[in-house]
Amino acid sequence: MTVEDMEHSGNAADPVGSEPPRRRTSILVLDDEPIVGKRIKPFFQKVGYEVEAFNQPLEALERIRQRRFDVVITDLKMEGLDGLSFLGKVKEMHPDTDVIVITGFATMETARQSFRKGVFDCVAKPFKLAELLDGVRRIEKERGLAV
Amino acid sequence: MNLQGLKDFLSRLRGRPPVPFSVLYKNFKGILERHNAILERIGDMGDKLGGDYVFDRQYILDSCEKLSDQVFKLVADLGLLCQRRNVALFTAFERIQHNVSEELAGRRVLLRRDHILPLSELTHDLADAGGNKMASLGDIKNILGLPTPDGFVITVGAYFEALEAAGLRRSVAERVRDLGGVDCGNTVTAGNTQEAEGIGRLSQELTAAVLKMPLPPGLARAVEQAVRGLGCPGGQLFAVRSSAWDEDGESSFAGMYETMLGVPAEGVLTAYRQVLASLFCEEALRYRLHHGLCDEEPAMAVGVMPMVDSLVSGGLYTYAPLSEDDQAMVVSAAWGLGKPIVDGTAETDTYLLRREPPHALLSADLTAKATRLALSPDGGTRMEDVPEAERCAPCLSEARLGQLANAAMGLEQFFKRPLDVEWAVTPAGKLVVLQARPLSIRPSGGPRACADTTVAVQGAEVLLSGKGVTAMGGVGAGRVHVVSEGEDLSAVPYGTILVARHSSPRYAKAMPRLRGIITDVGSVTGHMATIARELRVPTLVQTGSATRTLREGQEVTLDADRMVVYAGAIEALCRFELEREDVFEESREYRTLKRVLRHISPLTLLDPKSDDFRPESCRTYHDIARYVHQRAVDKLGSLAETHREIRESAPRTLATRLPLGLTVIDVEGGLAADTGPEAGEEDVRCRPMRALLEGMNAAGMWETSPVPVDMGSFMSSVTRTLSADAAHPARLGRNLAVISREYLNLHLRLGYHFTVVDAYLGGAVGDNAITFRFMGGVTDLTRRSRRSRLVAEILERYDFMVEVRGDMVTGRIKKHPTRVMMDKLFMLGGLIGYTRQLDAKLGSDGAVQHHFEEFMQSIAALKEARQ
Repeated sequence: MTVEDMEHSGNAADPVGSEPPRRRTSILVLDDEPIVGKRIKPFFQKVGYEVEAFNQPLEALERIRQRRFDVVITDLKMEGLDGLSFLGKVKEMHPDTDVIVITGFATMETARQSFRKGVFDCVAKPFKLAELLDGVRRIEKERGLAV
Repeated sequence: MNLQGLKDFLSRLRGRPPVPFSVLYKNFKGILERHNAILERIGDMGDKLGGDYVFDRQYILDSCEKLSDQVFKLVADLGLLCQRRNVALFTAFERIQHNVSEELAGRRVLLRRDHILPLSELTHDLADAGGNKMASLGDIKNILGLPTPDGFVITVGAYFEALEAAGLRRSVAERVRDLGGVDCGNTVTAGNTQEAEGIGRLSQELTAAVLKMPLPPGLARAVEQAVRGLGCPGGQLFAVRSSAWDEDGESSFAGMYETMLGVPAEGVLTAYRQVLASLFCEEALRYRLHHGLCDEEPAMAVGVMPMVDSLVSGGLYTYAPLSEDDQAMVVSAAWGLGKPIVDGTAETDTYLLRREPPHALLSADLTAKATRLALSPDGGTRMEDVPEAERCAPCLSEARLGQLANAAMGLEQFFKRPLDVEWAVTPAGKLVVLQARPLSIRPSGGPRACADTTVAVQGAEVLLSGKGVTAMGGVGAGRVHVVSEGEDLSAVPYGTILVARHSSPRYAKAMPRLRGIITDVGSVTGHMATIARELRVPTLVQTGSATRTLREGQEVTLDADRMVVYAGAIEALCRFELEREDVFEESREYRTLKRVLRHISPLTLLDPKSDDFRPESCRTYHDIARYVHQRAVDKLGSLAETHREIRESAPRTLATRLPLGLTVIDVEGGLAADTGPEAGEEDVRCRPMRALLEGMNAAGMWETSPVPVDMGSFMSSVTRTLSADAAHPARLGRNLAVISREYLNLHLRLGYHFTVVDAYLGGAVGDNAITFRFMGGVTDLTRRSRRSRLVAEILERYDFMVEVRGDMVTGRIKKHPTRVMMDKLFMLGGLIGYTRQLDAKLGSDGAVQHHFEEFMQSIAALKEARQ
């Protein structure tokens, strides 16, 4: 789906004002390097996503216990709780939440393992914001979100 | 000669058996490969500043480590090739590596050691030396070109020197760091009391120490001299302002540091010390503690500027506070000097203006202004009465308000923040910017902004989407101006979105007035993109069709991050951009990468003939790579003298149809087996060389038509190539080809252009690679840059990855089938001939387009004929 499609379809389904706004696709971002969340959050917000960003795996997990997100974007290598068990827990609680893993080259092997755990996509650091958006758009398409 | 040198000399005399040539040649090839890998990594790191990528600290650490390793090995390789220990080069490497690791550890390396920097030399690149506030003022003056007061900054280096001379630097840094350490161990309640006491005591001690610290005599003299150098009349007063690291007006250390106004010349040194001491005021220490900044060494530069005598002065907020719905900015103004306005003690006129150009006046609230602060003829300032007639008159005309608004919006776009701008109008009627500070307009929660942008964007018509490459991120709204050929850009109106067929460095002049740039064709690493990043103008290149899609005069909003152009001005989107909590360019990671790159990517070692071309002059990793490359190539040319076994592959003159003055070293199978000492083109077996020569020889490609303006230099360049280059042993290695059957490394100096071709066309597709480099020229920078652009565009059209740095163009292509690569070399041969004298003819940007098309057509025709 192109930006154009999205903007136009969004517009058609949601005339400004009267009707309740369409449900936004929700995203949780987890990376122990704060810069990652700081870059991703406004980028996705600007194109109409609902985004929450976390640096601490345990805090992110707590938030996921409270509510479900459509998409979780997480680093694999973090202090405290490793990315693999994090995404295992996410999938356990919400099997229909899709996970995109962002990771350095050093952990490519772990990335492969993560696919076995049901990860939707894997993006290597450093990555382009547009790549990540592509990933999320594909999830939306497969899940029939945001149409 | 020192002892070691003597030993080396003797051992050479004893005739140490030389290393076999095959080993040295392998070594030489290794150097070329590593050299390329290094330049690629440097380019990669630079790309990350463009805004498309998300990278973290780990990326910076990894890249620096790998790069250092590569450069170290490159230096070692050269040592092996030249059979010498390059002590000086290793020293240079270690110095640069040390600087890089200091930057990574948060200890900034000052590039300038001066005590004093004039404001006219200051930009954010020197923020480490000049502090943030003064560096911003430097940007305003030197990049945006707005009038500011004169002045200078007493650098961070001067502060460190003073501290060191007084034996304080280490203990101050340690005590501040300990403050951070104490905090961790305390419980919350006990911590608060202890913390307050601890901070109070520390603040008193450090402040007192700085206030009574003697200033090194050299520093004191330099300051006094700089004050005199401002050339002010007697009785002139100065503003002495703090400009600390990490001081950022509103968001950090806001108003905590001292600013002294109305300081007489003889009081500047005392004021300097007072401003320095405020670095350790209680508030600042507390801020440091609570924001985890205790590990960073506190540092302060101090700005000194003559107080501007002003008819009218005041402030401007680019977003009026309290009026969420209005897209308005607010100006307050009063007669005389600005201090009472800043202090809030003066009656002021208040104007509301629309944020969009032409910034229509929404309201003017005039008051009676009975008094004003004025400079006193005998020095100092005094309050005086405003003449009856002027009291109720407006301080500013609509024209002046418009001028002020334009300046402020330009500043806002550059700093990517809503701003609080302090300004003054001089008695001569000149508008001067005194300061610009970030202004907080952020709503308490994030979601409101989010909702606004989505709704606003949903309603908008999308004119262009998903096309192009972001050269500089950001959002800008304005009217489209489609650039026509040869147009005078000085008339481009303020607030324009410039739309052009090609990117061009000549847009630089108009850039401070632009809200955005969109081009059909262009490169993210070209000159224009570099300047756009410097000026932070949102820029989208390679859209393919912008000039056809967007209409002259149409109002649009460019979102360069998302690569979308919307119809109309979408204020909410622009506002969202300014409300972002974190400006990428201000993030720690961005600044760290930018800082380490200062020690990595600039190329300062340019001319191999200059005396400065030596290891001691290497300031960056790029310099070292350049030095090693040049020395390796030189060395290869002289190897025959030391290696008797390569008589067969000794340097030989290659008689070419064109006057290339080429010396060839055949390493393996590059020439026919029975070739004599004089080789001809028919002897060449090297595949890349054959293809290249074929392209050069192809009819019409070797540019020989008389060049009207520059016949003299044309002829001299031909004769130079024929005689001097061929005859002079010192020049051996300049027009030099090292060849084997599959490999070509060609260094060609024709006239004043310098070309390098490095090509390997082996069996496996994956190993095929061509690197082409082009630089130099006799004419002025504009023409040279036109020629770089022409070369870059041609290379891009032929699928090369192109990088332009200064007037050096580098194109790389890899992993295409051998047949395709041969075509590329054929084209390069043509290009070398075609562009040889071209810059003298590139009198206009239109000529670039003309020559581009001419070249593409001729080469296409030749290729057809060849097939």
